[in-house]
Amino acid sequence: MTDEIVVLGEDVWKIYGSGETQVTALHSVSVAIRRGEMVAVMGPSGSGKTTFLNCLSGLDAISKGRVELEGQDIHAMDDRAKSAFRAKRTGFVFQSYNLLPVLTAVENVEMPLLVSGVPVREARKRAQAMLEDLGLGDRATHRPSELSGGQQQRVSIARALVSHPAIVWADEPTGNLDEESAAQVTGILRRLNHDLQQTIVVVTHSPDMAALCDRTLQMHDGHVVT
Amino acid sequence: MADLIDPTTAALLVVLLVVAVISLALALRNRLSFRIAMRNVRRGRWRTVLLILGLLIGTTIISSSLVVGDTIDQLIVQSAYQSFGFTDEGVFNQTPLGTYAPFPYSVYTSVAQSAASDSQIAGVTPEIVGQTQAFDHNDGVPQTALNLVGVNGNQSSQLGGFTTTGGGTLAGPAPGQVLIDQGAANDLGASAGHHLTLYVGGTIWNTTVQAVVADDDRGGFLGGGFGQVGTIFVSLPDAQMLESTPGQINFLAVTNAGSLIGGVGLSGAVAATLNQTLSTLPGAHGLKVHQLLADTVKLAASASTSLSTLFLVFGLFSIIAGAMLIVGLFVMLAEERKGEMGMVRAIGLRRGQLVASYYFEGLAYSAGSALLGILLGIAVGYGLVYAFAQLFGSVGLSPSQILASFTVRPASMLTAYVLGFLLTLLTVLATSTRTSRLNIVRAIRSIPEPPPTMGVYTRLAYGGVVLAIVGALLLVFTARGSSDISLPVLGGALTILGIGLLASRFLRNRLVFTVASVALLFWAGFAPISTSLLGDQHTGGFFIVFTEGILLVLGAILLYIFNSDSVVSAVSRMIGSRPSSVSIARIGLSNPSRRPGRTAISLAIFALVVFTLVVIASFGATLSANIQQQETVQTGGYTFAGFSARPVPDLVGAIANNSSLSGLYSRVVPFVSGGVLETVSGFPQNPFGDALYAAPAGLPAANDFYSSNTYAFSSTANGLSTPAVWAALRTGAAVAVVDASYGPSSGGGFGSFGAHPTVSAGETIALTNPETGMSSNVEILGVMSEALLTGIFVSPALAGTLGYHNQSTFLLTTASGVNPDHAAQVTKAALLPFGLILLNLPALVAQNLGFTQAFVGLLQLFVGLGLAVGIASLGILALRAVQERRSEIGMLRAIGFTESMIFRSFLLEFSFVTVLGISIGTALGILLIYGLAAAPGSAAAGITQVAIPWGNVALIAGLAYGLTILAVVGPSLRAARLPPAEAVRPTE
Repeated sequence: MTDEIVVLGEDVWKIYGSGETQVTALHSVSVAIRRGEMVAVMGPSGSGKTTFLNCLSGLDAISKGRVELEGQDIHAMDDRAKSAFRAKRTGFVFQSYNLLPVLTAVENVEMPLLVSGVPVREARKRAQAMLEDLGLGDRATHRPSELSGGQQQRVSIARALVSHPAIVWADEPTGNLDEESAAQVTGILRRLNHDLQQTIVVVTHSPDMAALCDRTLQMHDGHVVT
Repeated sequence: MADLIDPTTAALLVVLLVVAVISLALALRNRLSFRIAMRNVRRGRWRTVLLILGLLIGTTIISSSLVVGDTIDQLIVQSAYQSFGFTDEGVFNQTPLGTYAPFPYSVYTSVAQSAASDSQIAGVTPEIVGQTQAFDHNDGVPQTALNLVGVNGNQSSQLGGFTTTGGGTLAGPAPGQVLIDQGAANDLGASAGHHLTLYVGGTIWNTTVQAVVADDDRGGFLGGGFGQVGTIFVSLPDAQMLESTPGQINFLAVTNAGSLIGGVGLSGAVAATLNQTLSTLPGAHGLKVHQLLADTVKLAASASTSLSTLFLVFGLFSIIAGAMLIVGLFVMLAEERKGEMGMVRAIGLRRGQLVASYYFEGLAYSAGSALLGILLGIAVGYGLVYAFAQLFGSVGLSPSQILASFTVRPASMLTAYVLGFLLTLLTVLATSTRTSRLNIVRAIRSIPEPPPTMGVYTRLAYGGVVLAIVGALLLVFTARGSSDISLPVLGGALTILGIGLLASRFLRNRLVFTVASVALLFWAGFAPISTSLLGDQHTGGFFIVFTEGILLVLGAILLYIFNSDSVVSAVSRMIGSRPSSVSIARIGLSNPSRRPGRTAISLAIFALVVFTLVVIASFGATLSANIQQQETVQTGGYTFAGFSARPVPDLVGAIANNSSLSGLYSRVVPFVSGGVLETVSGFPQNPFGDALYAAPAGLPAANDFYSSNTYAFSSTANGLSTPAVWAALRTGAAVAVVDASYGPSSGGGFGSFGAHPTVSAGETIALTNPETGMSSNVEILGVMSEALLTGIFVSPALAGTLGYHNQSTFLLTTASGVNPDHAAQVTKAALLPFGLILLNLPALVAQNLGFTQAFVGLLQLFVGLGLAVGIASLGILALRAVQERRSEIGMLRAIGFTESMIFRSFLLEFSFVTVLGISIGTALGILLIYGLAAAPGSAAAGITQVAIPWGNVALIAGLAYGLTILAVVGPSLRAARLPPAEAVRPTE
């Protein structure tokens, strides 16, 4: 971990709807995450964890405030710049894997590389290497429907990491997994953080996962309470 | 009201009633299911609107084809009703030469007395019916082919009065004057007060036009209404004078009691009564009652039914496409509600109740969409009739007459409603039953269905065995008969599919279905294979296009579905190697393989409709090309076929010696001609006979028929060459050739008044001259390709033997630079006493071409409606895809896809399906046209070359693609603009 701040949120608000139906999902959230840090975001259902992740990663617009990723104001970027930033500098892991069912594991993994302009052969090489690193070398040509839940989540982690992003955002990565697979995925994330100094922000309900993180942000009612 | 309760309609009503009763009983028994269904209908207004729009297409097509059918029926049958004025039956004795033999006026008196006491007969009118030539002295126009009708005004009251074009009424022609109908007035350029000279037989008579009368059903009389020939009406005594038959008549017009239409129903009884009366009358020998109106209406109704059936058959492609769309819609609806379905099953709803719930929902959609469908069908039908009027208005029919015939019969609409309703309901029911077989846990947790187990393949194998046996039996029992060719073709296809299903139990699906689909494509599309197995003796019209079309499309879709990855990787390589293009191509091109069933439906819809359009366009172009190419073959290189009322002893000399005619023609061929009776084995003798022609053998080269004509043969005896056939005809003693109407492809047989028997090259038939009674057996040396000059061409020696000596048929070729219309007018005027009629042969060919092109245009327009199904299908699929793939879209956005990349990947996906469907349809359409052209009998039908209208095909493909892209742009934009955070949420 270094002292360099890669994620900086200042007075971030997220308000849905208007009038009587108005819901404030994030209340003046301010947070700073250092490069190489692994941070868990915990809290009860509806506390705003996923909204926090979406707003800070730039997936969702914010109502007020400022978010800087590697020093760049992500919400000031246009769609093209924001997409390019996401392709090159961030990776996402979702609870439901969100792999493209029509593509093989290696095709899924190389997709961010292709989007960011890496030549096809180079992309394939790096994707294959990433899968092998995560113990899925022999499953590279399998489609998601032919993989177990744990394997699918490892493919989605490979996809998130293949472009060597500055930050990996993970939303309940073990939520759909059995205990053994969950432990495996948690171990992988921790190893990547430890070995590669990969910054990881993970929304989780799992105390085991949180225990492995450098620190935990507790959320309640749209506020970061600790 | 009587129209509403014919047996078919009554049966449909019963079906509707049964469905209603069953549905009511089910609703009472399954109230919960009914309530869920009704809530679902009301749940999403836009979804309901979308569903109804998708579902109504089938009914719209059925309804519009029936409206077109009703209108054609009205047009043809009503024209038939009006073609004889108020004449229902004619009493006459027609000679083999086509004239009416005179009989004593006393026959009329006796028949009229007998009819007076018959409540079924309104009246009998004595007439003289013949032909005349006329010359208008006021404008110098001659006309050689006009009907002459002699009738007394006071006796024609039963036939209706005459309505002048000025609106006045006349009882009949005044003595010494004539009434002319609009046809004759147009031919002669005549009007009231014009001075005419009539040439009837040897009599020349100067007269004045009393008035021009309307071509309506009152003044129409025989042949005067919608006939091609104009009519001149004279008083009966004047007609007797002109025909030199004092005290005689040659025709009795019988008018039945009741209305024009109602009277036809009495025709059989009236004919029987009058034939009985005639048999007892002196001087009535040879007279028979002919049910003129009833026979004509029957023929017209048959022609109308054929046309309506043609529309319905081509509409079937669109109807099937519509049914596929319904399947697609309900499969998607079921997928959308899979979680709910799993949940209601989990809380105790039985499978039957789930199906019932879908049934009730489908019932509501079906009832509503079928109702809207028939209304839309009427509008579409009117559009088609309007197009019909515009297209056919240019080739002879009056647009206003066509538009005035626009008819919507309540019975047809009821038929459309019931068929559309049942089609929708049954499709919904089948789909619901299939989708309700769900695994509750998988449904609730949105877990994909596992691949089929071996048990599924075993069941499919059993089904395959049954299919193969049924197919093989159908093939074996119909292969050698003369049944419709569709049956053995279908039998073969079922056998192939059955074997495929059986083999899928033991071998890899891809291998099995690739082989099966290729076999299906060859079987249905490559004519030499089916011909070698089935022979060429089968019958079958345009229905084979439907059968083969379905089989070809099925084969092509199966081939794609089981080899889609090869197609996708080939197309991906074509798109390029830029990383961002590769990523878009990978997403866009892979998605269609994700739900092969859904893609297959879209592909099949597009392929079927485009296939039909391409077939129609290519068929029309091929016919046109062959007609154009065969102008020389059809006309023989001649400009006119001439027929004279009286023999012209030396037409060649008459033209050469007339300074106004001598420069007009480069070739003049006279024929000895007359009526002939044929005796052909296997056919009854045609009592009306046919025409016989024989060209002299010793004319100078320019006028020598045998060496200068360009006629061709579709078949010859012993494979003789064309010059060899003509040489044999010039010198042979007992040989003949026949025109194409005698050939097997024309249908042959005595189907209608005056039709020919069917003869083949090499066959021997007997010919009898009805005037001399002399007969001779002749060998048919060839069947010609032309059908404009119909009859039997015999050698001059045989004509002499049979007693034919008069030259009254001619073929003439105008000299270079001569206007044929001018030549015809001058020639007819110069030879007016001979009553020469000249038919412009190239103009007839052009008219046929015009009709063909107009009809093809109309059919294309009709089938083009089916494109709406394909476009709707992909539009709905695109909407559904956005809904289904929200989280994937979100993920793609998360890994860096821009809005534009998402938009392009969606467009690529639907472009791929559309272009693939269009390509399959186009390729198969062209394949089928080549197959049909290669089939036996095509050459005999004059099809010697295939023409593909590439411009037209490109327009069809462009329109189909462009409209589809327009339909999917909206959903694609919606996908692109989905906020990523909202999209990645696991629940909607």
